Amino acid sequence: MSRRVASIVLVLAGLAAAFLMMSGSALAAHEVSVEELVANMEQYDGQEVVITGEAVGDLLVQGDYGWVTVNDDAYSVKSLEEGGDFAGYSNWGIGVWAPAGELRQIHILGGYKNKGDTVRVTGIFNRADPEHEGDTDIRATSIELLEAGHPIPHPFQYGKLLIVVILLALVAILWVDRRSRIRRARRKQ
Amino acid sequence: MILRPAREDVKLIGWGIGRVILGVGLIMTVPLVVALLSTEWDTALDFLIGILACVAFWLFMEITCHVKKDLTWLHGLIVASGGWLAAMIFGAIPHILSGHFKSFLDACFDLMSGYTTTGLFLLQDLDHASHGLNMWRHLLTYAGGQGIIVIALTFLFAGTAGAFKIYASEGKEEKLLPNVINTARAIWMISLTYLVVGSLFIWLALLKEGMPVARGGLHSVWLFMGAWSTGGFAPQSLNLLYYHSFWVQILTLVIFVIGSFNFVLHYEVWTGNRREIYRNVETRSFTTTMLLGTVMLSLGFGKIGLFTNFGEFFSKGLYNLASAHTTTGNGTVFSISFVNEFGLIAMWALILVMAIGASAASTGGGFKGLRMGIVFKYIRGEIRRLASPESAVVAEKVHHVHDVWLDDALVKGVLFVLVCYVVIYALGGVIGIMYGYDPSVAIFDSVSAGSNTGLSAGLTGPLMPALMKVYYIFMMWAGRLEFISVIALFSFGGAILRGRGARRKKR
Repeated sequence: MSRRVASIVLVLAGLAAAFLMMSGSALAAHEVSVEELVANMEQYDGQEVVITGEAVGDLLVQGDYGWVTVNDDAYSVKSLEEGGDFAGYSNWGIGVWAPAGELRQIHILGGYKNKGDTVRVTGIFNRADPEHEGDTDIRATSIELLEAGHPIPHPFQYGKLLIVVILLALVAILWVDRRSRIRRARRKQ
Repeated sequence: MILRPAREDVKLIGWGIGRVILGVGLIMTVPLVVALLSTEWDTALDFLIGILACVAFWLFMEITCHVKKDLTWLHGLIVASGGWLAAMIFGAIPHILSGHFKSFLDACFDLMSGYTTTGLFLLQDLDHASHGLNMWRHLLTYAGGQGIIVIALTFLFAGTAGAFKIYASEGKEEKLLPNVINTARAIWMISLTYLVVGSLFIWLALLKEGMPVARGGLHSVWLFMGAWSTGGFAPQSLNLLYYHSFWVQILTLVIFVIGSFNFVLHYEVWTGNRREIYRNVETRSFTTTMLLGTVMLSLGFGKIGLFTNFGEFFSKGLYNLASAHTTTGNGTVFSISFVNEFGLIAMWALILVMAIGASAASTGGGFKGLRMGIVFKYIRGEIRRLASPESAVVAEKVHHVHDVWLDDALVKGVLFVLVCYVVIYALGGVIGIMYGYDPSVAIFDSVSAGSNTGLSAGLTGPLMPALMKVYYIFMMWAGRLEFISVIALFSFGGAILRGRGARRKKR
């Protein structure tokens, strides 16, 4: 009987320890913005962090690992190309170093023509990564695809076309006028 | 004092500026083609509007300002300074139409920053900008580096006797060849050769990092243009940090150091006079101040215990130091890191080398190595004179292709320009401090703008006060033209006003 109680206690203790470890690691991973990270590099250096944002630019994969830039600014929600509002800065993003297998989940990268995939990155933040010549980066342990990106529609701007037509007409008038002045001047000579 | 200009003078200047704007329109055809090839129809329309506006302005000036008179030295000075302002306004058309700028002032800021090879920018959401817009940003800094006026000389002013006057007043007062048109073409030949070779090497490095072939090609050209022109623009908001590539850093570093050298030095080396590299006062001055900056950087990083191994010191320390010294502005750290991570000693090392800047007659800005060399020799001469008997004749010379003996007129001219730089740097810093920015940050960004560097400690951005944007535009413009043309433009404006006042009195 005592042996059974002891084994139950042991199992419960093991479960409790496992739960505590899991919750402990979850607590250690701070969900932060890139702006907050960059402004407080010393505080977050070497800590596990979680960022959520848009994958932009290119996947720079070299063998088993690679880089992706993840922006979590206002434009990662709605870019200026999609009609988003001006936020008063260029972009807030950070380089994420991850296993190639994790990076392969990302199919659409943000740019002029596309809204990139939205990803949640968990990893260790490095103020000056010793293995990457002191780069400020996140070494990802996992990348989770939250939302697939999509093409950004760029409807044809007829208003701009009208301005082109008006300017073309103006250039034509000025051109004809200039030519006639040159001819007159030649005749006088 | 400039005498009251006649109507003919004003017309002649208008005619010259019209031709410069036609040059801007012609350059816009390159981003137009890139936009069309990238199927960016909206962007293509922006450039079409820009080109047509430039052509219309040129035709209008040809019709209204045509006079049978050649440009004098003064006209050249004013066309140079006024042409840059007009080029800023017309060049900003595709920028504002792109929808990435909150105001036309912001667009003009980026244009002036590009033309003057500064590299500061107020463009928002760069990571979603089109290929066409990125090509325009980088091309204008590349073209600005060689001088819009040189372009005008090359293609539009052929055979005009006044051409050299415009060229000289743009801060490139040295001729490589007896004929100014040939000089301009020589500059373009050198730059285009480096463009092909440099872009190829960067492209290979980007392919190694895993970048797709086509995008790698575009990025390599843009990175080359940004580095060679010492502009420091890059197509992604993280600048050089985006690529995480040691090789891209090495290549861009070599390119911007070469780009920051005097074109006369380039020509001498190209024509076989390789000894000039070691003898030239500017390469010696650059080496000395770079070494001093490295010592300061080492002390600074050692004190805070950051970036202490070789790889980190090179990538985060030396790279940014060389970028600052050549007034490039390519960066491998976040802007805020200069304040939060570098510490005061390393940050001031960057400020000092930015203030000194690159070589005369190069794409760079700042005091210039030539002037630093002359001032150093002058001070040394004065010390020697004090330590010598009264009857002794002490003379100092600097070597810049030929030996040049220092005289009072030369030293006075050099000191005048140095004082002008110090005044604009200080005034920019004071304005920033008055707006409540941290003094180090205010001085850092002010020196960066005035020396046409482009590194920022976080002050420069779309939310900075409008007055500061206007002052920074002025600093970039005046610093790039080295004040003389700008003073001539203001004097010319003053002379017109005085003339009007005198006419009214007569009536």
